Amino acid sequence: MKQSELYKIIGKLTQSVNEVDALIASGKTDLTIDLSACTFISVEGLEWLEEMLMRANSHQAKVKFVNIPTTIYKVFKVAHIDNILEACGSAKPTGRDATTC
Amino acid sequence: MVAVINDQDIALNERVNNLVRRARLAAAVFTQYSQEQVDAIVKAMTLAAIGAAQKLAIAAREETKMGLVEDKILKNLVASEFHYYQIKDKRTVGIIREFPEDNMVEVAEPVGVIVALSPVTNPTSTIIFKSIAAAKTRNSIIFSPHLMAADSSNLAAKILYEAAIQAGAPKDFITWIEKSPRLRRMTELMMVHKEVDLIFATGGTQMVKAAYSSGKPALGVGSGNTPVYVHKSAAVLSAAMDIIISKTFDNGTECPSEQTLIIDAGVADQLLAEFKRLGCYICSLDEVEKVADVAIDPHRGGMNYKLVGQPAYIIAEQAGLCVPKETKILLCPLTGELRHHKLAVEKLMPVLGYVIVDSVQEGINRSLDINYTGGTGHTAGIFAEDDEVVERFADAINAGRVIVNCPTSIGGLGGVYNNLDTTLVFGCGTGGGNITTDNVGIKNLLNYKRVPKRSNFTLTFKTTKNIYINPGSIDHLRSLKTKRAFVVTSRSAATRGHLSLILERLAPDCRVNVFSDISVEPDFGTIQAAIEMMRKAQPDTIIALGGGSVLDAAKIMRLFYDSPQLKLEEVAVNFLDFRHRLAVFPQKSNTQLVAIPTTSGTGSEVTPFAVFKDKVSHQKVSLIDECLLPDVAILDANLTKSLPQDITVDTAFDALTHALESLVSTLASDYTDGLALEAIRLIFEALPEVLKNGSNVLWRHKLHNAACLAGMAIGNASVGVNHALAHSLGAYFNISHGKANSVFLLSTIAYNSKIPHKFMAVSSYPLWVADQKYARAAQFLNLTAAEIQNNKTDTTSQTKYEGLVTALRQAIYDLAITANQPKSIAELGITEEDFKQAFPELVRLAFEDMSLRTNPSCPLVDDIEQLFIESYPPRQRPS
Repeated sequence: MKQSELYKIIGKLTQSVNEVDALIASGKTDLTIDLSACTFISVEGLEWLEEMLMRANSHQAKVKFVNIPTTIYKVFKVAHIDNILEACGSAKPTGRDATTC
Repeated sequence: MVAVINDQDIALNERVNNLVRRARLAAAVFTQYSQEQVDAIVKAMTLAAIGAAQKLAIAAREETKMGLVEDKILKNLVASEFHYYQIKDKRTVGIIREFPEDNMVEVAEPVGVIVALSPVTNPTSTIIFKSIAAAKTRNSIIFSPHLMAADSSNLAAKILYEAAIQAGAPKDFITWIEKSPRLRRMTELMMVHKEVDLIFATGGTQMVKAAYSSGKPALGVGSGNTPVYVHKSAAVLSAAMDIIISKTFDNGTECPSEQTLIIDAGVADQLLAEFKRLGCYICSLDEVEKVADVAIDPHRGGMNYKLVGQPAYIIAEQAGLCVPKETKILLCPLTGELRHHKLAVEKLMPVLGYVIVDSVQEGINRSLDINYTGGTGHTAGIFAEDDEVVERFADAINAGRVIVNCPTSIGGLGGVYNNLDTTLVFGCGTGGGNITTDNVGIKNLLNYKRVPKRSNFTLTFKTTKNIYINPGSIDHLRSLKTKRAFVVTSRSAATRGHLSLILERLAPDCRVNVFSDISVEPDFGTIQAAIEMMRKAQPDTIIALGGGSVLDAAKIMRLFYDSPQLKLEEVAVNFLDFRHRLAVFPQKSNTQLVAIPTTSGTGSEVTPFAVFKDKVSHQKVSLIDECLLPDVAILDANLTKSLPQDITVDTAFDALTHALESLVSTLASDYTDGLALEAIRLIFEALPEVLKNGSNVLWRHKLHNAACLAGMAIGNASVGVNHALAHSLGAYFNISHGKANSVFLLSTIAYNSKIPHKFMAVSSYPLWVADQKYARAAQFLNLTAAEIQNNKTDTTSQTKYEGLVTALRQAIYDLAITANQPKSIAELGITEEDFKQAFPELVRLAFEDMSLRTNPSCPLVDDIEQLFIESYPPRQRPS
């Protein structure tokens, strides 16, 4: 069974985070990313998260995001990136044509 | 629109997906930006656009070979400087508007990813305008430029994007499709892409149609065909200059520009002479044909796109006309049927039609001919100093912009000649197949989240101002200020001696008329007869002496006597909410109304209600307004001493029903609760004593007070389902109101004290507490909780107050036994057969009754049916 690490992102997430990339590359650990202190995420930050999750998946490492501030969660929701939403434990966005009123 | 994707599209799809994905991420990131951050970005973009205005104008002219550099510079500045001036202080993040009176705010939400089409005629100014608008609203925008102008459009996008990035904007919030033969196909794919939220289309008709057909929300523009009416009141010389400014602006490429002038005959010579003096060429009829042949595409009937934005002399040259090179406009008289003239269409070039008219009517009608020849919803213009003519013109013309005494092209852009919102996108409303007639801008690029907070009904307490309550209080009549009194009463009042008690107390010099034909529940015809009599007698005071029917009738008489213009059908309108009702009642009454009840039941002397029976529909009709409140109520229990026992009981049960229903009403308040509880207590205490000795004035007094207190309670909190059922049954079978109320009481209390099948949607009733209220009434009567049988299978609707509620129902049952008051419909002598036959109508009438509106549970039709069914058979004591 893999060990699990907790990593906390503090401040603005505007580029890749080497420590996280290293943990993923090691293939030895699942990862919990605490976003409670994340104040802003840029396009580059989003792109890194998506790409990091893809790498984690190829290493069979599980990554989950916890303590997500609403502003950051809204960015994830609007961005419509499936693997990020899955890491949040959130369902994929669904179409709106199921019901009308 | 369905985009058919084949193998050749795969690479294109990848490019489209990439563009849209970048825009999507940027839109997501943009949601975090504050107003201050956004405003800084917008300012930086505007500065960049102003700095590049000339460079971009030159690039656009070189690429498109249309228009004039000088005017394109102006357009770029309008799209940047003027646009910025209008939006710089507007809020587009967070709460953007507050409506304190409505307890509501509006919060902005970006629309997301916008695909924006830009036209060949305004290739750089449109990009500037839309880029700044997108930034201000935190949207990302992907530009699809016109193929013939893609390089200059994309240069504009790049300049603004780079400035925005320097100011901190999200990466890729502005992107664009590069010029290539596949540009149009990429645009088509983008318009149906699932990640695109809005299409912002300015361009050729086909592209705008494609945008609207995409299935996406779209902001588009329609084609124009601007009529401009020059009325004889116009300042002719300045009108000529304005029209020239406008029609030559960028060689006529602006779609709001003038297309046909409609000139009043009185000023035609002067105007045409001025045009000629200022360098316009007025064509002969032969020349008009030649111009039309080149300016209009003979196959489509529309303008020849090869001449769009070309100078007048080039068009003249192609038409075989010899005109000076500096000619500003080719003016073409349009003869024959205007609607069918070849030149009566949009011509984005300095070719301008004109007709001469003899009247305002003809002027507006010819303007409509042009307006409805492909230009509905877009723009129209008028030159007139006569505001009435301007108003007539604006009323008739179908245009999102009716430009007055200004050039229509620059006037339509907004901000230069008037205070219209600055735009490069002219909404044409449904006339042009658009969703808006706005000068489209930032307000159209936001989703508006309305955040209304709960508005509470302002409860008030109103009742009759002067209430005299002691036995013997009719002596107050001796000091009543009246010269002409009109007494409304029933025949029984005379036989019981009450009428003479009244008459002998009025001042000797008071002229008195008496109307004593009021029977139980009179119809409107009887009331009208009394009003006729009043009109002759001209009373200053109406004295109502009798039971509830008399008092109610007198209220209605006063209303129509004081306000003869009122129509019954306009004031007897049902309503869902008192605040929004249609009925309009007079603010005050001129005639004094003195109410002297001789029964202890309705409490009409202190209520704003009046009920009469419509004999045709078998329905009771209610009028409700505070203007119906009497000015004086005299409660003299001596007048009730001779009241027969059955009527005493009947009316007491009516009062009891009032108290119980107002107690649990959705409009109940601490004020009405106190009155209702005390009324209940007094009735339980006094009625048995009155039944033992009807002439005991002390207990009669208590019963009289109880009815009045209950009247005040319903006057402010209203009644409920019991009254709806009773009104229906009473009207249909001619049952007295008190008896009709009695037979439902035990069922309606049980019904209202159970958790409702459906809650009542009323803002003033945030918590269902009917069971607690009934329990409180039981406690007020010193009752203890009854033991509840535990053999019930359905316990879902039981509440912890059920024991006390049952005790209350038992007490009411026992009181009815003591008073020999019917407790079921069967006891009224209505046969089961008659009841079954009447059943559908009874349910219908009850369901229409306004009393339901304030019941604590929202009665469903099934509930009403069940209450009728339950209330038919003789009852057992509740357990």
